[in-house]
Amino acid sequence: MQDFAQAQHSGLIGGQPVGPSQVAEARKTRREVGFPVGWLVAPATLWLLVFLVLPLISIIVFSFWTSAKGGLVPDLTLQYYAGYFYNEGFFDQEHRNFLTLSVFIRTLGSTFYFTAVVMVLCLIVGYPIAYFLAMQVQSFKWQMALFLVCMVPFWTSYLIRAVAWLPMLGRRGLLNSLLINLDIVDKPVSFLLYSEFGYTMALVQIYVVLCVGPIFFSLSKIDPAILEAARDMGATPFQIFREIIGPLSLPGVAIGMIFIFVILMGEFATAVVVYGGKTSTTGTVILNYYAIANYPFAAVNALMLMLSMMIGVVVILRIVDIRKEL
Amino acid sequence: MTAKNGSKHIGVANGGVSRRQFMGTAAGAVAAGSVAGFPNIVQAADPIRTIGLGVSIINEIQGRASKDLGFPVRGQALGYGAMFGKMLNQNDQYEIAEGYYNDMDVFIPSKVWQPIDTKRIKEWDKVTNLSKTGRLTPDSSQGQGDAPFRQLWLDEDGNRVKGPSRYISMLPGWHNADSLGYNPKDTGRKIESWGELFSPDFKGKVALLNVPQIGVMDASLAIEALGLFKFKDKGNMTKPEIDFLIDFLIKKKQEGHFRAFWETFGQSVNLMVSGEVVLESMWSPAVTAIKAEGVPCVYAYLKEGMRGWHGGCAISAKVTGKKLDQCYEYINWWLSGWPGAFVARQGYYMSVPENVKKHLEPEEWDFWYEGKPAAKELPDPFGTIIVEKGEVRDGGSYWNRFANIAVWNSLMDENDYLVKRWTEFLSA
Repeated sequence: MQDFAQAQHSGLIGGQPVGPSQVAEARKTRREVGFPVGWLVAPATLWLLVFLVLPLISIIVFSFWTSAKGGLVPDLTLQYYAGYFYNEGFFDQEHRNFLTLSVFIRTLGSTFYFTAVVMVLCLIVGYPIAYFLAMQVQSFKWQMALFLVCMVPFWTSYLIRAVAWLPMLGRRGLLNSLLINLDIVDKPVSFLLYSEFGYTMALVQIYVVLCVGPIFFSLSKIDPAILEAARDMGATPFQIFREIIGPLSLPGVAIGMIFIFVILMGEFATAVVVYGGKTSTTGTVILNYYAIANYPFAAVNALMLMLSMMIGVVVILRIVDIRKEL
Repeated sequence: MTAKNGSKHIGVANGGVSRRQFMGTAAGAVAAGSVAGFPNIVQAADPIRTIGLGVSIINEIQGRASKDLGFPVRGQALGYGAMFGKMLNQNDQYEIAEGYYNDMDVFIPSKVWQPIDTKRIKEWDKVTNLSKTGRLTPDSSQGQGDAPFRQLWLDEDGNRVKGPSRYISMLPGWHNADSLGYNPKDTGRKIESWGELFSPDFKGKVALLNVPQIGVMDASLAIEALGLFKFKDKGNMTKPEIDFLIDFLIKKKQEGHFRAFWETFGQSVNLMVSGEVVLESMWSPAVTAIKAEGVPCVYAYLKEGMRGWHGGCAISAKVTGKKLDQCYEYINWWLSGWPGAFVARQGYYMSVPENVKKHLEPEEWDFWYEGKPAAKELPDPFGTIIVEKGEVRDGGSYWNRFANIAVWNSLMDENDYLVKRWTEFLSA
């Protein structure tokens, strides 16, 4: 059974379906080698069990335990979930917290908001790059060369890419000296760095490449003959884009957006470096509670983050049915 | 660098006499041959492992300990959160914990460390009263918060006791009085009060340390200095006190008073070197690092008193037998004077000043401990000149500084609430 399922999926994305006769053939070959596929899958399965499933279960279990000074105590409690949602003075009109959400929900909300903004900006910036690569550059050699150029930022570490913004945006940074030399401002502006502006800009620059790749690949798969046919039948460039290119590139867009979404929701380092720690994300909340050894509360935050990420991914997949589109 | 460390070991081979030293030498020689260096990761029998912050875990320190003691001491420097978690949850993964007294409310009840028997500390008498009674000199103030003397004394079973006893939680080691650092050229005036942290003159050019437990203390000192509020105990605030403080900070943040909140030592250095910030909470070695970049920087001596912190060596509860003897040898070594002299050149003080004095040049002693002008150029522990001739350390002598500690780094009873409100402050 397992062997059969394996064989059916042997063609990766966009591969040819495998017929039953070929499956039987493949099975025969494997029998001859005498190496059951189950064994090949075993290391990966074991790896996932030990390093993904078990830690996940332990996070869930710990979120119900009690944090005492001196560590974790296995006394089951819901107090950390209550602490996550409940806000002191929520119903108390006298209190300043009247009908405001708890700070942790608000933090998750602002994390989500930033993620959404950056995703939209990445799409606006990234799509034209991918479009240019796939549609405008004719030679395959140039396509690949330019695509590699897009990947250059990945040659350095993530942290260097974030830190590199400091000398660029700072009060004595490159941009400020340019503005002063051009007489646009007479003294350095400070909103560039340690601000929402700088933070958003850095995030877009760091993550935009993640969506260029998938969009580029799904655009390259579009058969030029279809576009030509559309043109022959009198479609305007806008119609071609709306009816053909747009829909056909959706899977790439969806995959790119999922990449960015999942990474950005867990983001905390860029906020420290480029925003000067002046905001908190759910990632920093988890880190703060981990640092004071309140593991159950860190676990609750981690689970809520995971839950919202799962919801986000499901929503993206709802909008674009990747399986069908591919 | 590596070659130098390796040759250090071979050097012992020539001069080594005792059996212990000989064994260490053999180990060192093997290491020099195979790994070519790093004395604290030599492959040999019976190493001990120590973990802590970069303040006390430095290759040169544990390397020197390995050489002096004749067995390898392997150090692992961690970030604060990772150190705290490992100390608490994995006490079979280290023998020595180079911890801090402000975490004792967690570590004493957890019993992950064993009580240290002062009878086995050869120079216990020489350890100053700063950690024993809280008074370095008879007329010093003890300061609020988790001062070492409040977190030191235990009974044989590791339960807290008040006042002197034979057993202690941790052997007192390196410490300092933290303060505000500033660029005198940019501030245009001498900074003498914590209140300056919220001065409108420096709006948008101030940074605060983004560790809630410490950040609120600096802020509370500033709020008190401005006469806005009086905290009953800054080392253990009540919920309404925390509320007042955080609401004040949120107001300031929304006015755009803070340029950034820093988390790592390097960030604090960067903020001032790049001119983003003119005044910030700071750690003492940052001042020398900033000066090394050619930017003027002063570590202020503030009239309200400073914020103290104190580290030391604890022994894991899992250690027994011969390893335990080695642990005692290592923590005794910390009092020998050489390590104290090493950290002195970074601006930290040691619990046994009289031993440290023997390992410092007279000019160094006068500068770092006595607060006198430097009679000549002075180096940091790695040999780089960081003090110009004639320079004076702000705040006077060691005894003068520690006579006036306003508050010690602390873990408050309302810590969870504090972290929650701090999150709110950052999100605001």
